[in-house]
Amino acid sequence: METFHHFIGGTVALFSDPIGVFVFFGGVIGGMLFGAIPGVSMLTLAAILLPFTAHLSPEHGIMLFSVIYCTGVYGGAITAILFNIPGAPENAPTAFDGYPMTQKGEAGKAVGAAVMCSAIGGTISAVVMMVATAPIAGWAISAFGPPEIFALVFFGLAVASSVGAKTFWKGWLSVLAGLLVAVVGQDPVGGIERYDFNMPYLLAGIHFIPTILGFFAVSEIFIQAEKKAIGTYKAPKMSVDFPTLAELIAHKVAIVRSIIIGFFCGILPGIGATLAAFMGYNEAVRWSKNREEFGRGKLEGVISSETANNAATGAAMIPLLALGLPGGALTAMMVGVFQMHNMEPGPLVFINSPDLVWVVFAAMFFANLSILFIGYLETKTIINLLRIPFQFLAPLILLLATVGAYAVRGLSIDIIAMFVAGVIGFFLRRSGYSVAGIVLGLILGKIGEQTFAQAMQMLHFEWSGFANRPIAFGLLIAGFLTLLVSTYRAFSQKT
Amino acid sequence: MSNLPRNLPGNLSVGHVVEVLLWLLLAALLYAWSFDFDREIEIYKFGASAWPRVIILLIAIAAIGQLAHHFQFATPAQSAVDDNVSDDSFNESMDDSPRKHASIKWYLWTFFLLSLPFAYMLLPQWIAPWFSSELSAELSSESSSESSWSKAGLHAAKLTCAGVLIALYMATMRGNLVGAMLALPIFFGALMQDFGFYALAPFFAVGVMYLMGERRPGWIALVTAIIMGLMLMLFVSVLYVGLPTGNISPFYEIGTGVVNFLT
Repeated sequence: METFHHFIGGTVALFSDPIGVFVFFGGVIGGMLFGAIPGVSMLTLAAILLPFTAHLSPEHGIMLFSVIYCTGVYGGAITAILFNIPGAPENAPTAFDGYPMTQKGEAGKAVGAAVMCSAIGGTISAVVMMVATAPIAGWAISAFGPPEIFALVFFGLAVASSVGAKTFWKGWLSVLAGLLVAVVGQDPVGGIERYDFNMPYLLAGIHFIPTILGFFAVSEIFIQAEKKAIGTYKAPKMSVDFPTLAELIAHKVAIVRSIIIGFFCGILPGIGATLAAFMGYNEAVRWSKNREEFGRGKLEGVISSETANNAATGAAMIPLLALGLPGGALTAMMVGVFQMHNMEPGPLVFINSPDLVWVVFAAMFFANLSILFIGYLETKTIINLLRIPFQFLAPLILLLATVGAYAVRGLSIDIIAMFVAGVIGFFLRRSGYSVAGIVLGLILGKIGEQTFAQAMQMLHFEWSGFANRPIAFGLLIAGFLTLLVSTYRAFSQKT
Repeated sequence: MSNLPRNLPGNLSVGHVVEVLLWLLLAALLYAWSFDFDREIEIYKFGASAWPRVIILLIAIAAIGQLAHHFQFATPAQSAVDDNVSDDSFNESMDDSPRKHASIKWYLWTFFLLSLPFAYMLLPQWIAPWFSSELSAELSSESSSESSWSKAGLHAAKLTCAGVLIALYMATMRGNLVGAMLALPIFFGALMQDFGFYALAPFFAVGVMYLMGERRPGWIALVTAIIMGLMLMLFVSVLYVGLPTGNISPFYEIGTGVVNFLT
């Protein structure tokens, strides 16, 4: 009941403030548009807006980013379905079946399913977040240190290696390549330069936004260019038919399963919605009686992926607000917003700024609901992009990606890094590697090494110290078991 | 790699072996390089090299696992290159063929095209002193400092290199449109710092459309104008995103002129 009162208080505070309302709707529409525009993403919008949040109140700044997060995760599904260009890594599995649906002339159905399932997953996740974040915040102070976070990252990596690649080994090589890229720059303890080619630019490491844009958007253009060159390109067919309610109800088990998976994955640091979407999709495949239909335009693939990634958005706020630990790229930017206002995210936020917390919670709830209405209207219009011949769309996508890569740090070298990543992604994708795995490795690698170093210093370099911490030990064991099972499967099956 | 012999044990193909060898070579090189930063850190006994070395070791293990997997499961017809490349339904009217995209010749040709933008990043600095001395000798009557000569020399070197390399790119891209498509964006990125986004972007858009098979000049011009209009309105006029204006005349003047006009 107390939670409900807080929620009502947050809702009133949100909608009684004209600036708050403006920021809310700006975030909802901006997140959807930037998520849906090929070549840029919610991260681009967030990066562009980050400096301006210094002029907003902390409530409005954090609320803006949380709203962009909810609607941007959905918006990225549009390009994944229409052009096989995920707006963000968390939309990558949506493309596995969404794009084939577009090619079959079922784009409207796929986008409609993404709209409805994103709203359902996100709204339920927001409710659970409101109920669960405060208790977790109290418990987490004593229970979660660097060993536990490292163990979480390890578990996340162990699961992540199984997604997207043609074989188990290629999945691991993809993740390891990403971890290796994350090593470039300075080591997290002594600041010693590693693999920097004596280039000052590389001292700060390779930024993940140009890398993501390169591996997903640019490499997709190259793949389509190759299809054009060899004559296998097929223009997608148009359709604006939404899925019926009966079709959604028929997938109720997949929706509930993806909400549960998405929520628990969302809590994992560094991967959040990305792993959620992949695991939601993987589990849909695993439990399906018609596995061979996945990847060929099965509605359940889109439903599972999109429900899971939006279910992760609320959950991703839990480690941020309860532990001060960003669950992904956008939540990492939220840490920046906190810091710009001389605040630190973490359990003390609940004590020092309860108003901020509940305005953000209410905004996330209503942002997810608004996906249903605004998303419906947006979909009816944006789907017409399919009418544009790809040779005209390709330069626009590449130029948008160029601006997205450059806008992050204002460095021309980021543009080159993005296009090089695109070329590498093109060759790796041709060879059956997972670009999503590489991006996951890159994002998790930095957190993993830093927390490992902190954990080992904390445990006085005694490996047995992990055994004395039940959560860390449990997660490590779970990670090793996942690895063992995956390895056994790799040697006993073809994939 | 499909045109190479495949007399290998199990279900392996040459492509599989080359792929694994590349991973192992990468691992070996990075391991050797790790000695450069193998320094002790007082508060951290594993030092800066332990983490990357573990990753390198795991890469080597995974690469060997991948080889074992192919040995056990791959079908003789399966190459390391994805299925979509070996699709037989290609259009005779285009000068690229799927088979070409898996041949050694195609890889070498593409590598050459990809090397051109990187040549632009390196060459001007090497030949700039020669241009500086030439300019200084030609225009010795004008009073200018040494730094301005070296800057003018560098710009002249960059203009010359860009012209030569673009000509080389255009002369060698025919017959390998996919390789040209891979190299074009990197070329665009490499030139951007010096020539600016505003001056280069229209040419880049035209190039992409051409490489994607569009041959109608009217449509290319119209779409380029629309794309540039949208980009400039959204990012320059509305969002105030500062894009590179370049630093070589007259491209710098074009860039700043566009920005001043729109803001």
